[in-house]
Amino acid sequence: MSGSHVTVPTGAALRVKALETLLEQKGLVDSAALDAIVDTYETKVGPRNGARIVAKAWTDPTFRKRLLEDATAAVAELGYGGPEGGHLVAVENTPQVHNLVVCTLCSCYPWPVLGLPPVWYKSFAYRSRAVRDPRGVLKEFGVEVPFNVEVRVWDSSAEQRYLVIPQRPKGTEGMSEEQLTDLVTRDSMIGVGLVKAS
Amino acid sequence: MKTPEELLAGTPLEKDVTFSAPWEARAFAMAVRLSEAGICTWKEFRTHLIAEIGKADKVRAHGWSEGGDGYYVYFLHALENLLREKNIVDAAALEAKMHEITEAGHEDHEH
Repeated sequence: MSGSHVTVPTGAALRVKALETLLEQKGLVDSAALDAIVDTYETKVGPRNGARIVAKAWTDPTFRKRLLEDATAAVAELGYGGPEGGHLVAVENTPQVHNLVVCTLCSCYPWPVLGLPPVWYKSFAYRSRAVRDPRGVLKEFGVEVPFNVEVRVWDSSAEQRYLVIPQRPKGTEGMSEEQLTDLVTRDSMIGVGLVKAS
Repeated sequence: MKTPEELLAGTPLEKDVTFSAPWEARAFAMAVRLSEAGICTWKEFRTHLIAEIGKADKVRAHGWSEGGDGYYVYFLHALENLLREKNIVDAAALEAKMHEITEAGHEDHEH
């Protein structure tokens, strides 16, 4: 943008500016509150939160139990929650079951624990294929699920969001919760990735 | 092995950014703020979002490709539809304000 001094918004930017101005004049939004929301989602909320939850579940059996029973309450213990988080459900991968999360209709996602969804999660390709051909989609993400392992697909909604608890990899027995946190990827908590020991 | 981005052909490459333009962030924040303030529920907003995404999905089913900035365009349409439904901002008021901002911007440039 260097060298450009055009400050008049056009297109979508203009529509948004006009909407914000109108809502501000009506006293319904204010610029500082909007800045705070943007800052929260750009810098504060992200998959690191979910990774901490997973690492704790791997190392603390009583927390794991509470998480599987009532994830909303369990993650609130760690300070994660929010008005648009919806009811959170934790689903655990096991040697018998692999879980995969999608929102077929739009983009529902557990914001307080994973931040905002990646672009592909909102794409037509993912939304339309995850339910129809989950094994095919997983394979293209590099995850081969053996045929004796059941694949469960969870379709998110405004009321119910899902967090996958991936399997703890072998060879991590001596690791601390902090070290384990570093291993947990965003994709593994959506169900399109596996956690590797290093 | 294909990357997720290659797999989902037609989907833009995912950079490590939450929003790809400032207006996307503002539109998102407005929708969140309106629901936090109780002016709408997130579920009400989501109903409009699903409708917009559903329309776009139908277009895609006819072979059109998905535009790079698609999602937040639908998001913005959903926000406008919600505000119209709630009699908070109608189309004429929005057009008038857009015109006003454009005019004011051009006047600034002439100085």
